[in-house]
Amino acid sequence: MSNTLTAPARKIPFKWSIIAIVSIVLFTLISSVGFGVVELGHQAVWQCVTQSCEKPIYDTILWQIRFPRVLLGFIAGFGLAVAGALMQNVTRNPLADPYLFGIVSGAGLGATLTTFLPPSIQVISLPLAAFLGSLLAVVIILLILLQNNWRRIEHLLLAGVAVSFLLSSLTSFILYTGDAFSSNRVIFWLMGSLARADSTALLWIFPVVIISTGIAIVLGRQLDALLLSDDSARTLGIHVAKIRIITLVLCAAITAVIVSYCGGISFIGLMIPHIVRPFVGITSAKLFITTGLIGGCFLVWVDVIARTALDGQEIPIGVITSAMGSLFFLALLRKM
Amino acid sequence: MHSFALQAKELTWSVDQVDIIQQINLQIKTGETVAIVGPNGAGKTSLLKCLFGEYHTYKGDVYLNGKALSTLHKKEIAQHIAVVSQHADSAFNLTVLDIVSMGLIPHKGLFDLNTDEDRTNIQQALIKVDLLNKQHQQFNTLSGGEQQRVLIARAVVQSANILIMDEPTNHLDMYYQHQILQLAKKLDITLVLTIHDLNLAAQYCDRIVMLNHGKIVADDNPEKVLKPELLSKIFKLDCIVDENPFTQRPRVTFAGTNSKSPSERNNTFGEEHHE
Repeated sequence: MSNTLTAPARKIPFKWSIIAIVSIVLFTLISSVGFGVVELGHQAVWQCVTQSCEKPIYDTILWQIRFPRVLLGFIAGFGLAVAGALMQNVTRNPLADPYLFGIVSGAGLGATLTTFLPPSIQVISLPLAAFLGSLLAVVIILLILLQNNWRRIEHLLLAGVAVSFLLSSLTSFILYTGDAFSSNRVIFWLMGSLARADSTALLWIFPVVIISTGIAIVLGRQLDALLLSDDSARTLGIHVAKIRIITLVLCAAITAVIVSYCGGISFIGLMIPHIVRPFVGITSAKLFITTGLIGGCFLVWVDVIARTALDGQEIPIGVITSAMGSLFFLALLRKM
Repeated sequence: MHSFALQAKELTWSVDQVDIIQQINLQIKTGETVAIVGPNGAGKTSLLKCLFGEYHTYKGDVYLNGKALSTLHKKEIAQHIAVVSQHADSAFNLTVLDIVSMGLIPHKGLFDLNTDEDRTNIQQALIKVDLLNKQHQQFNTLSGGEQQRVLIARAVVQSANILIMDEPTNHLDMYYQHQILQLAKKLDITLVLTIHDLNLAAQYCDRIVMLNHGKIVADDNPEKVLKPELLSKIFKLDCIVDENPFTQRPRVTFAGTNSKSPSERNNTFGEEHHE
């Protein structure tokens, strides 16, 4: 694997990295709420945060629409980036991504199947069905791996790719044969959006992401042991298969809960760890914290672009992350 | 401390009903340096892997400091046995410090942080292997000899009392071969290693265990094991054994393959050749 993709170039002391990143996070959370169809301006936002809003409508826009959406964007970006770093470290593959397990394909299939439900319950059940679909994908992969005795990491990656394509093909078939209106709804959902931001979404996603990240950080030392080789990890007393299963479940939980509310937002899990690694190194705990914070900020700003780039129309967020991710990797290739 | 650091009793390990090692009885005393030698495919690495618990589906028993290995938790084993394996390479560019710090893993609970003492131990281990100035360098960019030294430093941090090395001198030039073995000896702990170079084994080890076809065919001090008759039989090459003028240890010199034709050599391994 190329040095450019993984090089721990100029490591900055972790303390300074964290101070810098927390400042970026605060700036992002406060300033991003000003952007949207109604431009609030920083002063108005600041006034709303510190005292009370100038106009009552600002109050509604800020606290009921923008803030939940910014928070959802932040936590979704945080979770996807952590899941990416987790997957990359545990598979020792810098190109691993939580989407590799077919979690998104599974969610897509679940969402697609809701088109068969009566319209009255479709809206409520889409996230639930997507979540169940993600779980289905993960369970299939776990079963394949358990049968295969977890002999090699490659099995994990190949099983993920295979399951992903299998579920995608089922989704495509159902969409192709289904009615156009439902198909459109699912396709739009698959492109990703933070428009579904509400307190229910936040109440689901926040605990899952924070607890899973917390467990990943606690397991950091064990995960570090895997960075050299499986054999080496075992000689350090690590139960390699157990750690991989736990990590897979954590990634699946984080990704499934995000994807079921926000749809397919690709490339964050792949891209953000690559950006962060040169500055904070490879070891797990530091990487997860910084990757998460940067991932969160990244998605918040991507959502700002999605909301403001086209007049009166929102661009699906997954379209922007995919475009940026691809360009990012092409830029990396130039350096290689 | 138990008088035997490692012990194997009637140890047999098989793959698909083929015995790779058979009925091995071996006792390694605390503080001893033991070389496991033998031709390719003799079962040296398999024996090592049974001894440090990597393979656990064996028949017979392995004891670590008098306790059956099968009853010990992986972490407990890692607190006593450090392993320097043949090949370690990562897609991620880990630094020397990252890898040496891994030695702390068997001694830390989930919520334990690194203490000042840990950091001092890591620095001291790096000084011991003379890599303090390269601690921030990437492991993948180091030479083979330096990589082995990093893994030895990790073993030092692991503060194990047994060091197992699988062919530690492979791919190293003369200077580094001696350097690595001297370094390992200097740790003053029980050392078990597989090695192809019989002269290095004779020079650095108290005892040589010779394996052939998965069985121990000789187990004694180098002077007693390195006998021309046995070596010629095992390696299918004529040889002479005299004394190394520098070390006064046995020195083995093999004749070339001309002494027996390659097909003769292969046939004695039971392989079929169709020409």
